[in-house]
Amino acid sequence: MSQSLSVSAARRRPAAAPAMISDRWFSILLIVPAMAVILVFALLPLAYALNVSFRFADLTRGGIGAFVGLDNYRAVLADEMFWASVGVTLKFTVSAVVLEMVLGIAIAFLIHGATVGKGVIRSLMVLPLATSAAVTGLFWRYLYDTQFGLTNYFLGLLHLPQPNWLGDYTIALWSVVLFDVWQWTPFVALIALAGLQALPKEPFEAAELDGASTFRVLRTLTFPMLKPVLFLVLVLRTIDSVRLYDAVAVLTRGGPGTVTESMTFYLYRTGLKLFRMDYASTMAIFFLYAMLVASLFALRPLLKQFSTRASEG
Amino acid sequence: MKRTILLAAMMATAAPVGAQAQACADADRVPITWSTIAGFYTDAMAKLVAGFEADHCVKVNVVNIDNSQLYNKQVIEMVGETGAYDVVTLETSEKAEFAENGFILPMTEYFADKKAQLDDVAPTLAALTVQYKGDVWGLPYYTYTAGYIYRADLLEDAGEKEAFKAKYGYDLAVPTTWKQHRDIAEFFTRKKGAMLKGAPLEKDFYGVGLMAGPFPEIQDEMSGVIWSQGADWLTDDGVVPVDAVEKAMNDYLALMQFAPPAALTVTYDGVMNQMKDGQIAQTYSFFLDQWPNAAQTETLVPGARMGVAEAPEKKAYIGGFLLAVSASSTHPKEAMDFVAYLGGHDAQMEFAKAGGTSTLMSVLSDPQFADPANRAKTGHFGTLLAIFDSMKGFRSNLFDTPFGAKIYNTMQIPLQSAAAGQITARQAAEQLAAQVEKICGGPCPIGK
Repeated sequence: MSQSLSVSAARRRPAAAPAMISDRWFSILLIVPAMAVILVFALLPLAYALNVSFRFADLTRGGIGAFVGLDNYRAVLADEMFWASVGVTLKFTVSAVVLEMVLGIAIAFLIHGATVGKGVIRSLMVLPLATSAAVTGLFWRYLYDTQFGLTNYFLGLLHLPQPNWLGDYTIALWSVVLFDVWQWTPFVALIALAGLQALPKEPFEAAELDGASTFRVLRTLTFPMLKPVLFLVLVLRTIDSVRLYDAVAVLTRGGPGTVTESMTFYLYRTGLKLFRMDYASTMAIFFLYAMLVASLFALRPLLKQFSTRASEG
Repeated sequence: MKRTILLAAMMATAAPVGAQAQACADADRVPITWSTIAGFYTDAMAKLVAGFEADHCVKVNVVNIDNSQLYNKQVIEMVGETGAYDVVTLETSEKAEFAENGFILPMTEYFADKKAQLDDVAPTLAALTVQYKGDVWGLPYYTYTAGYIYRADLLEDAGEKEAFKAKYGYDLAVPTTWKQHRDIAEFFTRKKGAMLKGAPLEKDFYGVGLMAGPFPEIQDEMSGVIWSQGADWLTDDGVVPVDAVEKAMNDYLALMQFAPPAALTVTYDGVMNQMKDGQIAQTYSFFLDQWPNAAQTETLVPGARMGVAEAPEKKAYIGGFLLAVSASSTHPKEAMDFVAYLGGHDAQMEFAKAGGTSTLMSVLSDPQFADPANRAKTGHFGTLLAIFDSMKGFRSNLFDTPFGAKIYNTMQIPLQSAAAGQITARQAAEQLAAQVEKICGGPCPIGK
C-alpha cells in the first residue's frame, strides 16, 4: 500500500512542475550563470574598451581622459608598427596552421593504420597540449640556445650549420612557428584521428570491392567525409594562432627588434609597458572586428551544415 | 667568572629585543608590503626583513616579482591606488615618472633629521636615483652601476702583450678609451685551434661579451659610450640626438663581430655564463654587481684571473634600485622606517657580507671589504668608489624626464634591430627619435 502511494506521489510531481515555471523560463534560468559570466568577463570589458578607444587614456597621465572621437583609430591606422605586427601575425598564422594541418592529418593516417601501440602514441601526443606554452616555451628556449642548447649541440656533432635560432632576424619567426607546430600538431592529429575512426566502414568496403585506388578513396570518400571535422580544427587553430602571445613572450619577447612581435604582443606592450590604454583598446577593437568578420565567413558553411542536419533530424 | 659575566652581558643585550618581541604580539603588527625583484638576493633580503621586524612592531610581506613585470605591476597598483604595495622598488629611469605622477611620497621631511644617513649614499648615485626636483624620494638599497670586467690573466700574459704591441703599436692593458677596448676585442677573437696564452683553443674564443638580446640592457651598455661623447639619450630640449646615437650604435655594431653569436639573445647572466665558460676576454660597459658571479671564472676556467676596472673614458651606466613609499600606502610611517632601515648602514653592511652591492660610501669603503679574503664577493667595491668619484655631478636627462621609464622600455627595440642587422645604425637612431617623440607627445619635458 505504501509502495503504491509513493508511486502515485512521484507520478503527480511532474504534472505539478509546469505550473511553477514554464519550459521557456526554465531554460533561461539554466543559461543565466553562463550569461552572467559572459556579461561580467566579456561584454562589460568590451563595452569599457570601446569607450576607452574614443578617449585619451594614458594611465600615467591622468588615466581615462577626454573624448577624442576617432583620433585613436586614425593613429592606429597610421601606425607602421601596428601594421608590421599584423604582418607578423598573418605570416605566423598561415605558416603554422598549414604545417599543423598537413602534418597532423598525415600523423592521424599513420596512427589510424598502425596495428600496435595506438594507445601509447595517443597518450604521448597529449603531452605537448597538456603543458602551457609558457612552460614548454622555456624548454624550447634552452633547446634553441646558441651556446648551450641541445639542438645546436647535435647539429654540431653532425657538422651541420648551427643557426642562431632566436637571434637571427631572418629565422627567428620560423623558430616560433616550429615551436607552435610541435605543440599543436598533436591536437590536429588527435581530432583528425577521432574523425577517421568515426567514419562508417561500409562505403570503404564497397570501394575496395569495386577496386578503387587509394588516392581515389581518399579524394572521393575519406576527405569529403572528414571535411566537417577538419574544417572545425582549421577554424580553431586559426583563431588560436592569431592570438599568438605566450610563445613570443617566452621565446623572443618580440625580438630581434620587432621581427616576431605579434599583434597581441604589440597590444600588450602598448597597454602595459607604455600604458597607452587608448591605443591598446583601439587595437583590441580592430582585432575583435577582424576576428568576428573572419569567423563569420569561416563558420558559415559549418553552421549551415549543422542546421541542415538539425532540420533533417 | 668570565663565563658568568659574558652570560650576563648577553642577557642584558638580548633583553630589549626579547621585551620588544613580547610587547608586540603578531596580531598587533602593522602589515606592510614590499614589491621587489625576484631572484635578487632574495635570501639575504629575507634575513634583513627579519632584522627589521625584530625591532619594529611591523610585519613585512615581501612580494617577489619577475624583473620584466615589476614596472607594469607597480604602475597598475599605483594608478588604481590599491595600496597593495607600501614600498616599491624602482629602476633609475622610473623615479621621475613615479614622483611626477604622485605615485610615491617625498621623504624629504622624513630625512630632515637624518641628514647623515642621506649623505652616506654615494653622491653620484643619490643624484640619479634619490633626488628629483629638489625632493628626496627614498633610498637605493642596491646598485648595478657599470664598469669593466676582464680576464686579467690574458691582459697580463707576456706572449699576448708582445703580440698585441706588435699588431697595434701600444701596450696591452686595461683600456682607457673605447678605441683601445675595440682593439682588445678584435685581438682576442680567435677560432678554435688558434693559440691563446700559448695553448691551442678547444673552441672559438671571443673578444667581448655583449648584451644585445631583447632586453633593456643594450641601452645600459651603450649609455657609457653616449655619455663619454659628451652627449645624452635626450638633449636638454628633450629630443634624441640622432647623430650621437648613430655614432654609439656604429661603435656597438663594430664590436658585434667580436662577440659570441649568442649576444643577440642574452642579457647579463648570459654574458656571465660566457665568461665562466671561458668564451670571452672582457665585457663591454657591464654591471659591477655581477662581480661575485664573474669571480667564479677563476675556479671554473683553469688559469683564469679576473680583473675589474672603471669603464673606458670613465663613463658608465649608474643604476640603482630605489626603495620608495607608495602614495597609497596605509602605513607610510612604517614604510618609510623600512626604507630607512634597508638603505641604512647596518642592513647595508649585512647585505654586503651576503654578496650584495651596497649603495653607501661607509660600506663600500669599509676596510673589511677591501681585504683580499673577501675579493670574490666585494673585490669590486674599490672600483665602484672610483666610478662614483669620476662621475661626480653627472646627471642624465633620461632619468629626469617623467617619461623615462616608457622611453627606457622602448629604446631597446630599435637598438636591438640594428644590432641584429635588420636596420642600420642611422635608422635605429631615427626610429628611436620618432618613438621617443611619440611617447612624450613632442619634445620630452626634463625636470631637474
